[in-house]
Amino acid sequence: MKVKMLSRNPDNYVRETKLQQHKVPRNYDPELHPLEGAREYVRALNATKLDRVFAKPFVCNLSGHRDGVSCFGKHPKMLSTLATGAYDGEVRIWDLANRCSSRNFVAHDGFVRGIAYARNGERFLTVGDDKTIKVWKSESPEVGEDEEPVNTILSRYILHGIAHNRKDNHFATCGEVCAIWDEKHNDPLKTLKWGVDTLHTISYNPVETNVLACCASDRSIILYDQREAQPLRKVVLTMKSNKLAWNPMEAFNFTVANEDCNLYTFDTRKLHTPLKVHFDHVSAVTDVDYSPTGKEFVTASYDKTIRIYQAHQSHSRDIYHTKRMQHVVCVSWSLDNRYIFSGSDEMNVRMWKANASEKLGVIRPRERANFNYQEALKAKYAAHPQIKRIARHRQVPRHVLNAQRKMRVVKEKDQIKEANVRKHSKKGTVPHVSEKKKHIIKEEV
Amino acid sequence: MSDDEEHYNPQSHKKLLQAISSRGNVQHIQRSTRDERQPVQDEFQLVKSSNASSSANVDEPRAVGLNDLVQILRTSSKHLDTGKKLKNVQSTKKVLQKPLEKPAADRIKRTIGYEGVSKKLGRWDAVVSKQRSAETQIFPIPSETIYVNTSAHAKPLKTSIKSDLAKELEESNQRLRELRKKQIGDMTDDKLLAQQERALLEKKLTRDELFARRKELAYLKMRESQKSAKARMQKKIKSKKYHKLQKRQKMLEQIKEFELLQKTNPEAALEKLEALEKSRVKERASLRHKNTGTWAKNLQVRAKYDREVRKDLAEQLAVSRQLTQKQHDSESEEDQESNTLKLDEQDKLLDNDPFNPWTKVKSKGKTNTNEEETDDPNWRKYWTERNETNKLLAQHREDIQELKETKKETKTAKTTPKAKKSSLKIKKAKVTVQNGWKVEKLSKDATLEEIFEQHGDILKEKVGKKLEKLRKQADKLKETPAKGKQLKKKKDALKNLKDLTFKNTKQRIEIDEPLNSEDIETKTGEINPKSNVSEEAEIVEKSSAVIESIDPTKVTTLNWTQASRGRLNDALGDGELEADFDEEDYTNADRQLTLTEAFEDDDIIADFNKDKEKDSELKNTELQLAMPGWGSWAGAGISAEVMERRNKRLLLKLAVPEKRRDENKDNLYINETSSKDTRSHLVSSVPFPFRSLADYEASIRAPIGRNFVPETAFRMLTRPAVITRKGQVIEPMDESELIKPDRRLRHIVDRRIKHLPKHKPLPPKAKIA
Repeated sequence: MKVKMLSRNPDNYVRETKLQQHKVPRNYDPELHPLEGAREYVRALNATKLDRVFAKPFVCNLSGHRDGVSCFGKHPKMLSTLATGAYDGEVRIWDLANRCSSRNFVAHDGFVRGIAYARNGERFLTVGDDKTIKVWKSESPEVGEDEEPVNTILSRYILHGIAHNRKDNHFATCGEVCAIWDEKHNDPLKTLKWGVDTLHTISYNPVETNVLACCASDRSIILYDQREAQPLRKVVLTMKSNKLAWNPMEAFNFTVANEDCNLYTFDTRKLHTPLKVHFDHVSAVTDVDYSPTGKEFVTASYDKTIRIYQAHQSHSRDIYHTKRMQHVVCVSWSLDNRYIFSGSDEMNVRMWKANASEKLGVIRPRERANFNYQEALKAKYAAHPQIKRIARHRQVPRHVLNAQRKMRVVKEKDQIKEANVRKHSKKGTVPHVSEKKKHIIKEEV
Repeated sequence: MSDDEEHYNPQSHKKLLQAISSRGNVQHIQRSTRDERQPVQDEFQLVKSSNASSSANVDEPRAVGLNDLVQILRTSSKHLDTGKKLKNVQSTKKVLQKPLEKPAADRIKRTIGYEGVSKKLGRWDAVVSKQRSAETQIFPIPSETIYVNTSAHAKPLKTSIKSDLAKELEESNQRLRELRKKQIGDMTDDKLLAQQERALLEKKLTRDELFARRKELAYLKMRESQKSAKARMQKKIKSKKYHKLQKRQKMLEQIKEFELLQKTNPEAALEKLEALEKSRVKERASLRHKNTGTWAKNLQVRAKYDREVRKDLAEQLAVSRQLTQKQHDSESEEDQESNTLKLDEQDKLLDNDPFNPWTKVKSKGKTNTNEEETDDPNWRKYWTERNETNKLLAQHREDIQELKETKKETKTAKTTPKAKKSSLKIKKAKVTVQNGWKVEKLSKDATLEEIFEQHGDILKEKVGKKLEKLRKQADKLKETPAKGKQLKKKKDALKNLKDLTFKNTKQRIEIDEPLNSEDIETKTGEINPKSNVSEEAEIVEKSSAVIESIDPTKVTTLNWTQASRGRLNDALGDGELEADFDEEDYTNADRQLTLTEAFEDDDIIADFNKDKEKDSELKNTELQLAMPGWGSWAGAGISAEVMERRNKRLLLKLAVPEKRRDENKDNLYINETSSKDTRSHLVSSVPFPFRSLADYEASIRAPIGRNFVPETAFRMLTRPAVITRKGQVIEPMDESELIKPDRRLRHIVDRRIKHLPKHKPLPPKAKIA
């Protein structure tokens, strides 16, 4: 029997010294690689398939709360620390590296409504339903010492949320009014009021730190400047906005999570139309948080799912869900752009990878190069139908699927009806209203 | 003293009595002491002022008024004047205006605040747009500050900060000072001086800052007050009559002024006239003097019965007629002149620009000459062309001059005007026309009256021209008043950002579609070849539908895109036409042009159908496989019957062609020979950020793998869009980004990318043989 085998001359590939560069036994002449396109396509297809194979975003579950999780506080300096508040007034500080809670105490009677770390992360403030603002130290107390707040401020108004300025010692609370506080005083520096409605969320602009925004229960979003005596502007949407998040890299953009299943990204300077409407959720969106790169944001919804959106696209790029996760109340993106935390009604805090198929742990340079290559290939062939199909296919819970179908039917019905009305009425009386403008009622000066 | 003996202390007794008597009106709530700053006073903490309660029995201390002061001042003759002044001040001082109502005032404050904030946010436009278009973004954003871990390289602490040189200098200084002290008696303490200086500097700095701040505040205040005043004014006056009267008065005044100006300063008068004309035009545009207003309509009802009313109406109409009439008159006068002028201008435009290809095309004479001289070498051609254009220009200039001269001769000759601005005119004349001097000479013997008359004529002419211009503008305004308003309203707040965005050098495909969560079966049904084909068919159909109605150039371009899509498909799978590619590439540039030329008078539709038939021809035929002499080894003489049978056996009858999918569709051609398996892998439309098929193809065709491009190119091409580092907090954008110069690139690949030539993207393949 004849055995065929390759035999190579070692002179062709063995280096004479260690310092000599590797010989490349390769000719890059394109004439010699007629099938390069086809080969890359197959590689891209395989990369996409592998990406879906390895897409296991769930990292861990942090259990310990005895009631639903209501809010998160991100430590501005430490990545392994997360503070969470619950419906029963309990606050827990988590050690994320070890996946355990390092500290827990009951901070308020009733809900903990908001947690905000101070500028340097040495202290954090909590607000609760008991109309108090409590200031706590970030370090856990000595053994035998009780958990005591550093300071307790009794507020005259009901409090619904708190946000801390990133650059100075001011913080702001919302509730009946928007109040600006200084850390050193027990009375607000100023209270800003516009109308009589409850403000249920507040958020400081991380870049232009004097600007802040609130969402009110009269379906409006109100802009403030902490130096001004008056609010700046108000936009009223068709439904209530639940949360608001500023883009940390683009000072003028912010996104609101709305009750009507959509999110709206606004430019502060042009409030009468949103820049983008983000669809895909099938129930009220409860929370939104930007990635620290400002390129993406994550949303939590009452439909028991988390979705990740590109900041300038109207459809989500990914959806996370597990069987046991109930209505997601709060969500946050870790400051190193790698993880996502979600707190839900069923008392659990979950940790997810921001990029579902990313490899955790040490990545060797060659591996890194290969991942980069795969990413580049996927991006290059993204529009090809097979690749697109595989890359964008997601298994979603049955109830979401049903809701999606139902929503589609309703939407189609509306469109048909509108078309019919237009057809049978005088020309110009039924104008075409863009999807963006449909949801904005007015901009108040 | 015994215990029960009453010890009477009148003072304490009195106190007791007082306490009892004042028990009724004592206030139990204490006046609150403020230990924290509070912007809002709580209403529950407001306490009646203490002297208000006590004043019931004591003489009430009245507040000191201005009159009291004056009275006191009157007592001494020294201050008599000051007293008077004070009195005067009080009487002459205006009472401040009532502030605007709170909602209105708040609104103004809000708008001002919002403007300020949006202006501040606008600073970020450039940074954001740069970030958005960056090929790779690295987070956390690298900062220029360098942090050195000093504790790691801790050296024994140097006790003195000063260098040896500094020490020596100091010593010498000391010596010098001592010497001075001895010699001159200089007693100034240097340290003290330095301290004072520093203090002064600091003081100055803070003062400047204070001033700046005060200025800013004052500016804001001014803006606010201006706005409020404006609002107030606008609100205040309601009477229409008032406005009418005011307007009329203004008009009269202006006319008077104009008359005065006409005598003294004619140029200013011209401007004034313009303004007047403008206002007139505005009034005309408002259509106030028609019988369409409510007033006029009411009058129309009564006009039947009331003579006076009829008269009013007639007057009104007369005014409107007058307004329109005047225009027609002046128009007719100047129409002819303007026409001739316009023609001249057109000629000038045509000839003036010899290097403009568009005008060249129009002037056929020139092109002809060019064609004749095509034999010349390039430089010669250039010069001949240039000479000729120069000649033409010169001729044209002469023509114009002649025309002007004739014009001037019809009127009386121009003389040297004595006013200042006339000298200016002479200068102009020098520049444009040399003949201007001639005219002057002639005019020397003209009388003074004539001179003035002529001057007036010129002015009139000018006025006429201006009027015409104004009229045109007014017409335009009339046509699009609404549009102008809309434009003003839609001032785009994001214009700056949009202007600043630049095209991405490396485009990435963006797929903005919902995730497909439906079951796979339905999904695969969608992308099976059938639907795909129908899609393609639709595209072709669309293109062909256009054929009949539109010129062939458009059709050919469409055909071309169709052809290039074929190529795109090849890049993926079947490389059968690989060789053809390169040829096509070379010819691509002028392909479009040649195609359009080629199809100028061809029947495209017929050709198209022919192609279609050709494709199906093969299937419909019978092929005779028998060859002459084959099988007839025995030679001639075999019965014809056998031959026929054999021929029949060897006759290959091809199957009846299946019905073509595009059989009955004239303008549709579906390529059925292409592989059906690959079809599900093909892209059916150009994805989003790409505008043209060519761009998209280029992005797809260049390979990026290690096996096809050198290592460095591979690294460059596969650099991710966003790079983050593990375990590093990404801080939000910092203000230092606004003023930061371009970052020094650390990574070798980044540096290479930066040094790449900007105008062309990466070469598709680096050729290394």
